[in-house]
Amino acid sequence: MLEPSLDLYGETYERVEAVLADLLVKCHARYALIVDLKGFVLVHQRAVWAPKPPSLDSLATLIASNHSANVAIAKLFGEDAFRETVQQGADVGTYVEELGTEALLVTVFDGSAALGKVKLFTKQAVVRLLEALAEDHGPPPTLDLDEAFSDDAAKLFDGLFGKRTQP
Amino acid sequence: MSTINFSAREINFKLVYYGPGLSGKTTNLKQIYEHVPGDGKGEMVSLQTEDERTLFFDFLPLDLGKVNGFKTRFHLYTVPGQVFYNSSRRLILRGVDGIVFVADSAPNRLRANAESLRNLRENLEEYNLRLGEVPYVIQVNKRDLPDALSVEMIQAVLDPSRSVPHFEAVASEFKGVVEPLKAVSKMVLEKLAQKA
Repeated sequence: MLEPSLDLYGETYERVEAVLADLLVKCHARYALIVDLKGFVLVHQRAVWAPKPPSLDSLATLIASNHSANVAIAKLFGEDAFRETVQQGADVGTYVEELGTEALLVTVFDGSAALGKVKLFTKQAVVRLLEALAEDHGPPPTLDLDEAFSDDAAKLFDGLFGKRTQP
Repeated sequence: MSTINFSAREINFKLVYYGPGLSGKTTNLKQIYEHVPGDGKGEMVSLQTEDERTLFFDFLPLDLGKVNGFKTRFHLYTVPGQVFYNSSRRLILRGVDGIVFVADSAPNRLRANAESLRNLRENLEEYNLRLGEVPYVIQVNKRDLPDALSVEMIQAVLDPSRSVPHFEAVASEFKGVVEPLKAVSKMVLEKLAQKA
């Protein structure tokens, strides 16, 4: 399938970004991101005061995989899924909510945020995000990939490894 | 199944290294990580047991650069090869765009290769996918073993119709590591271009 897991482009993308930014302000969280269930980051926001985040690719992959594992565990007990996923360390924690059937909303917070607020405002953000995504926002942009697309990518692969590193 | 982010102008692909236990899947990723310069790769994440066997997966993001104005990225995953970790293998296959099947050349692993390929087919069916529909290549690894089986014999078991591209490799020495990755990536990109 060519579509992104969520239709995020144009005005919808901007609205989603605004909802995430608002979420960060309301619950004083560090980062908010939407990841798809394959482990890719779709959109993210960072509080202005927050330190530089860790690798978002790694975070998204681990969150998505952890979610898949949790669903599998829940099914072992006859549940469809566990209702919520909270992870809390000494200072930093994550809260994960399902965003429809193909994505997750992840809120990363620290000791300056109250967990109750994080949960409340994350749940509210999910509702607002689903409303934004449900609106008619026109057809997605076309990819417009020409025949040279894969050839150009192959050349970049050569550059990535550098021919001198080949044995 | 690629994830396309139009606003960020990013295309992301998921490639999975599959194969029996100890065939060299993690070694492939480690070698790629070692040989790609810093700006072309992200962190490598390994979820391993204490004896360094893959428990859940290894993960390595590669950043190819811009193609047709889109930042093009490949996320490489391995699955745990041990038979009893099938639930993990199935989860990792979600949204897969391409597969490198890492076969072991050791004579006593021929059956394990065949069982792993059968297991791959079964797990893909969980996502309503058939192996023939997903770009995939075979890497015949451990060609440096003194008693390595012939490639023809391994092909006869894994790909009797000889329709799947195969590559001989000694992954621990970075031999034959790049070629299967490039080949499957090209297949994935061509598939996307055709659909576009």
